[in-house]
Amino acid sequence: MNGPGEPTKRTEDGRLLRQSADSGTVMIETRGVSKHYGPFVALADITITLKAGEMVSIVGPNGAGKTTLVNVLTGLLRTTTGQVLFKGHDIAGIGPVRLARLGMARSFQLVHIFPELTVEETIAVAEIARAGKAGRLWASVRGDDAIHARVREVAAIFGLDTKLDRPARVLSQGDKKLLDIASAFALAPEVILLDEPTSGISTGDKHGIMKTLVEAARTANVKAIILVEHDMDLVAEYSDRIIALQEGRILADLPPTQFFADPAIVAAVVGMKPVRHA
Amino acid sequence: MAAFINILLGGVFHAAVLFLVAAGLQIVFGVQKIVNLACGSFYALGAYFGVTTVTWALKAGLPPFLFLPVLIASGVVLAVIGPVIERLLRTVYDRDESFQLLLTFALVLMFQDIMRYFWGANPQQLGNLVMVYGKVGAGGVDLPVYNVLVIAGSIAIALILGGFLQRTRYGRILRATAENRAMTEALGVDVRRINVVVFTLGTVLGTVGGAFVVPTSAASLDMAVELVVEAFAVVVIGGLGSMRGALAGALVVGLMRAAAIALYAELELLSIYLVVILVLILRPSGLFGKPAE
Amino acid sequence: MTPRLTTLVIVGLVALVGSAPLWATPYHITLMIPAMAYGIALLGLNLLFGYAGLLSFGHAMFVGIGAYTTAVFTSKLGIRSFELVLVASAVAAALFAIPIGLLTVRYVRIFFGMLTLAFGMLFHSFLFKFYHLTGGDSGMRVVRPTLLGQDTQELDKIAFLTGPFFLYVLALLVILGLVMLRIVHSPFGLHLKALRENARKAEYLGVTVRRFRLAAFVISAIYCSIGGVILAVPTGIADPELAYWTHSGNLIFMTLLGGFTNFFGPILGAFSFILLQDQLMSATQYWRFFLGVVLALIVILFPRGLMGILESLMARFSRGRS
Repeated sequence: MNGPGEPTKRTEDGRLLRQSADSGTVMIETRGVSKHYGPFVALADITITLKAGEMVSIVGPNGAGKTTLVNVLTGLLRTTTGQVLFKGHDIAGIGPVRLARLGMARSFQLVHIFPELTVEETIAVAEIARAGKAGRLWASVRGDDAIHARVREVAAIFGLDTKLDRPARVLSQGDKKLLDIASAFALAPEVILLDEPTSGISTGDKHGIMKTLVEAARTANVKAIILVEHDMDLVAEYSDRIIALQEGRILADLPPTQFFADPAIVAAVVGMKPVRHA
Repeated sequence: MAAFINILLGGVFHAAVLFLVAAGLQIVFGVQKIVNLACGSFYALGAYFGVTTVTWALKAGLPPFLFLPVLIASGVVLAVIGPVIERLLRTVYDRDESFQLLLTFALVLMFQDIMRYFWGANPQQLGNLVMVYGKVGAGGVDLPVYNVLVIAGSIAIALILGGFLQRTRYGRILRATAENRAMTEALGVDVRRINVVVFTLGTVLGTVGGAFVVPTSAASLDMAVELVVEAFAVVVIGGLGSMRGALAGALVVGLMRAAAIALYAELELLSIYLVVILVLILRPSGLFGKPAE
Repeated sequence: MTPRLTTLVIVGLVALVGSAPLWATPYHITLMIPAMAYGIALLGLNLLFGYAGLLSFGHAMFVGIGAYTTAVFTSKLGIRSFELVLVASAVAAALFAIPIGLLTVRYVRIFFGMLTLAFGMLFHSFLFKFYHLTGGDSGMRVVRPTLLGQDTQELDKIAFLTGPFFLYVLALLVILGLVMLRIVHSPFGLHLKALRENARKAEYLGVTVRRFRLAAFVISAIYCSIGGVILAVPTGIADPELAYWTHSGNLIFMTLLGGFTNFFGPILGAFSFILLQDQLMSATQYWRFFLGVVLALIVILFPRGLMGILESLMARFSRGRS
C-alpha cells in the first residue's frame, strides 16, 4: 500500500483511468429514474450517464438518496419509474449475480468479507465465478494453476500477496477493506462501484487506499468507476465528474473545478455533514 | 350440525391449550431470540406434575370440585425450573442460532428421561375428574364444563398477557428489548433480569398448558416431542415472535386438526403441515410476523 | 498435521476397521454397520451444515426415504440387487429433495430449520398414518439384498452382516467419503463456504447462492438416503421413527459431537455416538438423559466437537516440542 505522499499521477490528458478505444461510449445510463417507498420519494427524476474512461463521484448529505441510487445502479432495486441501462441492458432488479456476469462489480461501505476464508480463497471465489468454473463439482481448486496465477496477480496489486494464507478475520481493518475491493476487482469488471472505500480508515491511510485503487483500476483495465464518498478532499482529487444529490434529486453534475467553484453547491453537500479536516 | 359444533368445540379446546405453549415459545423467541424446542417438555412436565399434585391433594382430603385451582397452582409452581434452565441457556446467548437450538434439543433429551425417572414409562391420568363440573349442551351438542373453563382460562391468560405487554411499563420494556436489545441495554435496563423473567414466563405458559390438558387426556412421554411440532406449526402459521400470531395460529391448527380427525383421521397431522407449508410459500413471514430476511 | 500424515492416518484407520472381522466380536462388528451408515449420512448433512451453513431439522426424512425404498424394492417388488436399491434410493431422495429444497433454501438460519422440520414431519405422518401403503407404525419389512449379484442366503444373518455386508458398507463409506472430499475441495465447495460466510457479498462476487444451496441440499439428501438404505438391512425393517424429527436432531448431534468444522468430524461423530449410545444403554435405562448432558456439554464447552479437541491437543503437543 502506498503512503500519503504525492497525489496520484493522472494520465497525459488529465484523466484518472487509462483511456482506450471505446472511451467515451456510455457504460451506465439512467433515464428519469425515481424510486418511491410509499409516500416517501427516495429518488426523483435521476438522469445520469457514466462513460468509459470516467471516474465519477456521487456525493450528498446523509439521506440524500445515495444508498438508494447505489442499489438502483447495482441492479438490486427495481425502479418506480424510469430505466437503468448498463451497456444497453436494463438492469433494474436483475440482482447481484447477473450484474457480475454483465461486468459490474461493487465493494461495500461496511467491510464485507468472508471471515473464515483466507485471502487466497476469497479472491478465488470471484475468479471461479469470472471463469465460469463454479459448477465444477469434480475439479480441484488447489490443482487449478490458472486460478492460482490470477489470485496472486490480483493480490499483488493490492499488496495482499504476502498474506494469502491468512483468514480474513485476522487482517487489519485496512487490509479487510482492500480484500473486499480486491475480490471485486478479481471479477475483472468493466465498471466498478466503490461505496465509501475509505470509511472506517484513518485519514492518513485514505489517500493510500485511493491511490492503490486507481492504480489497480488502470492495471486491470477497468473502464469506469463510480465512487460514493463523504470525504470532499478525496472527491476533489479522485473524480473526473461529481454528481451531487439532495433530497433525492440531482443538485449538480459538474467537473470538480466547476463544482468546487460554486459555494452554494458545496454548502448544500457539505453543510449537513461537517468535513473532518475542513 | 350438532356433530359439526362438537368438532368445532373440540378444536377450540385444543387451540386454547396450544395457544399457551405457543405463546411461551413466542415470548422467549421475541426477547431472547431462542427457538425453544423444550417448550413441549415443559408442557409434558406440567401434565405429569399436575396428575401427581391433584392425586395427592385428593388423597389429603381436597373436595374434587376444587381440583382445578390446585392443577393451575401446580403448573405455576413449576416456574422454579425457569431460572435454572435460563442460567444454562445464558451460556449460548451470543452464539450462532444453531447452537442455541441444539442446546434446547439436549434439554428435550434430558427431560424425557427425567420424566421417565419420576413417572415411569406408562401414561398417567386423572381418572374421570373432568366430569365433576358436569356438562352443558343442548340438541346433541355436548361439552364438558371443564373444557369451557379451560377455554375461558386461556382467553383470560391471553388478555392478561396482552394487557401486560401493551399497557404496563414492564411490558413496554419487554417489547422494547425484543425490538432492539442493544438500545434497551444502553438505556440502563437490566437485560439479564429480563431474560430470566421472560424465560420463566415462557416456562409457566407451557407447564400450565400441560396441566390444563391432563384431565382430558393422559400424560405420556411422547407428548413432549409431539407437541413441539404442533407448536412450531402454530408459530410458523402465525408468524415467529408475534402473540397475535400465536392466537391465530393456534386456532388454525386446533380447528384443522379437529376437522381432519373427524373427516379423515389419516390426515390429522398431514393437514397441519400442509397448511404450514402453504403459509410459508404464500406468506413467508406468517400471518402476523415481520419479514424473515 | 501434514496432508501426507493425514492420508496415512486415514488409510490406517480404514485398514483397522476393515480388519475388524479378524479381531472384533460379531456384536461390535454389527455395531459398526450403523456407525458407517450414519457416517455416510453425516458426510452429506455436513455439506449442508458445515460447508453451506444451513441447519436442517428434517434430514431424517431422507434417511427414511432410503430405508423405505429398500423395503419397497426388496419385499414389495422383489428386486433384491443392493446396487439397484442404492441407485433407486438416491434417485428417490433427489426427487423429494429438489422440490423441497426449492422451497426451503429461500430461508436461512432458524426459518430453514423450522421449515425442514415441517417437511420432515409431513413425510413422517404420511408413513405413520397411511397404514395400508406403508405399514404404519409397524413399518415395512426389508428382505436381505444381494450384493454384486451374489445371493448370500446360505449364510446366517450374523455371518452375512459381519462378513460381506460389513465390507461392502466400508467400501461404500470410503468411496462416498472420497467423492465428498473431492466435492468440498472443488470450486463448487469453495463457493458454498463463501455463501455460508456472507451470502450478500458472495452474490456480488457471482456466487449463485440459492442454486448452490439447492445443490448442497440435494447432495446431502442423497447421502442421507444411502445411510438409510444401509441402516434398514441389519434391522430388517423400515421404521417410521427413522423419519421422526428427533432423529433429525440426533443426526445433527452426531455431526456436532464429531466436529462440523472438520471434514472427518462427522464420521468420528457417527462412530462415537453409536459407541456412546451402546455403552449408555447397557449401563442405564436413562441413557437419553446422559446423551442430553453430553450434547449440552459439547454445545457449551466444545462447539468444534471431538475433532476440535483433538486439533487443539495436537497444536499444544507440537508447540511443546518446538
